[in-house]
Amino acid sequence: MSAYVQFADTAKSFGPVEVVRKTNLGLERNSLVVFLGPSGCGKTTLMRMVGGLDEPTSGSILLGGEKVVRPDRRRGMVFQSYSSFPWLTVERNIAFGMRYRNDITSAQKSERTRHYLDLFGLADFAASYPNRISGGMRQRVAIARTLAAGSDVLLMDEPFGALDALTRERLQVELRLIQIREEKTVIFVTHDVEEAVFLADRIILFSRRPASVVADIDVAAELGPQRPLEIRETQKFFELRNKVLHLIRNETGTAV
Amino acid sequence: MFSNLFVFRGRVAPMVELSVGIAAAFLVVAAWEAAARSGIIAPQFLPSPTRVVAALWTMLTEQNLVWHVAVSTARVWIAFLLAAAMAIPIGIMMSSYRIIGAALEPMIDFIRYLPVPALVPLSIIWFGVGEETKVFLLWLGTFFQLVLLVADDMRRVPQEFVEVARTVGANSRQVMTDVALRWMGPTLIDNLRITLGWCWTYLIIAEIVAADSGIGYVIWTARRFVKTPEVMAGVVVIGLIGLVTDQLLRLLHRRLFRYL
Repeated sequence: MSAYVQFADTAKSFGPVEVVRKTNLGLERNSLVVFLGPSGCGKTTLMRMVGGLDEPTSGSILLGGEKVVRPDRRRGMVFQSYSSFPWLTVERNIAFGMRYRNDITSAQKSERTRHYLDLFGLADFAASYPNRISGGMRQRVAIARTLAAGSDVLLMDEPFGALDALTRERLQVELRLIQIREEKTVIFVTHDVEEAVFLADRIILFSRRPASVVADIDVAAELGPQRPLEIRETQKFFELRNKVLHLIRNETGTAV
Repeated sequence: MFSNLFVFRGRVAPMVELSVGIAAAFLVVAAWEAAARSGIIAPQFLPSPTRVVAALWTMLTEQNLVWHVAVSTARVWIAFLLAAAMAIPIGIMMSSYRIIGAALEPMIDFIRYLPVPALVPLSIIWFGVGEETKVFLLWLGTFFQLVLLVADDMRRVPQEFVEVARTVGANSRQVMTDVALRWMGPTLIDNLRITLGWCWTYLIIAEIVAADSGIGYVIWTARRFVKTPEVMAGVVVIGLIGLVTDQLLRLLHRRLFRYL
């Protein structure tokens, strides 16, 4: 199977600081890939380049064989904070994803908005402003907006980092279900090993800056595609988590 | 029984806040009245509030105060709207395009620190003693402050918001109108409210130096004849206009930005 997202000799420096070392990596379509690595290692930069928000210093990134040059709605970003616009209601935040689309009618837009409101359990909060809803709800809004935009690649930069443990767990389960149901390709940046193992089809482990791939772990082969919450208590999950932790200690010389 | 009113950073019921505000103002006025009546201070220095109110009434009914107030208000608003109409786009451009910011910021920073009164002689040489001088001075006092405040607000628009908009297909203009301006709205209105207040300060300077109308002129003329009640009445009127304008703008703020 050929890769959907292809890093081809991609490298990035900010001035004299090398952030990403020449990387070659292919990511499959409809899979959830976690970029795991120490804070500030350059994994976010790598993901931002997929979004067209940063430009590689050398090499390129191909999406479905086409070179990425600028941001467009096929690749949506979800950030840790500032994810939903405070001046728009939940409903209009989601609809914002389609605001600049001319290929669908406004009736279709409302229908899609409705669909994602229901999918994320946000229907009761449709008319609320973001400051009236919880952090978990706000992140749901941000993900829904990206999906409504019609992105088939979701770029998620530690999206659950600021949430409490329980909400975080819930959103992880939801994200995985929706990723499978809606057939999305997700690049998920985190430094949380548990989160990485629970969510990922595949974990790409990065070194300290400048980022380079130190391990490529096929999680789906061990845990399968479905990730119910109970999987966290299985022997396989523990073994995998420990394996990743060891890799991190050995390869990067740091705790994440 | 009042201990619950003194909770550190605590809350007080709105009705209590309002009554306390009115009561405190009333107390100050009462103390002033008592001091004036006791005769400790000569009336030409501190006339009693009742005499100030009487003077205000005479000014309203016999000395065309309403017209003077209207003239002053018009001057303030013309200069203020002119300053805002220029400062908002220029401030936004300064933060949107580094090259524009780099070109303008040092100059604006320099002019911003020039005291407006120091430029009065120059503006009289340039514009004479007509309306242009007053509007120019007021504009001078607000434009250069406001432009930097606007530029600052624009700079603070979270990068994440801009990037979210770009990834759903917004072009630069759409990012500006649909995200940056929406985000800036509340602080922009606040900054306008504050600079409008400064406008009144400069107005008095402008009207004292060169005017035959306006509330500053009224105050200054009254001073020449040591009509202290009139002077105080004029000052009170400015305070009242400021209070009303400020409350109206706050109301507008609440109406426009219900989501806050």
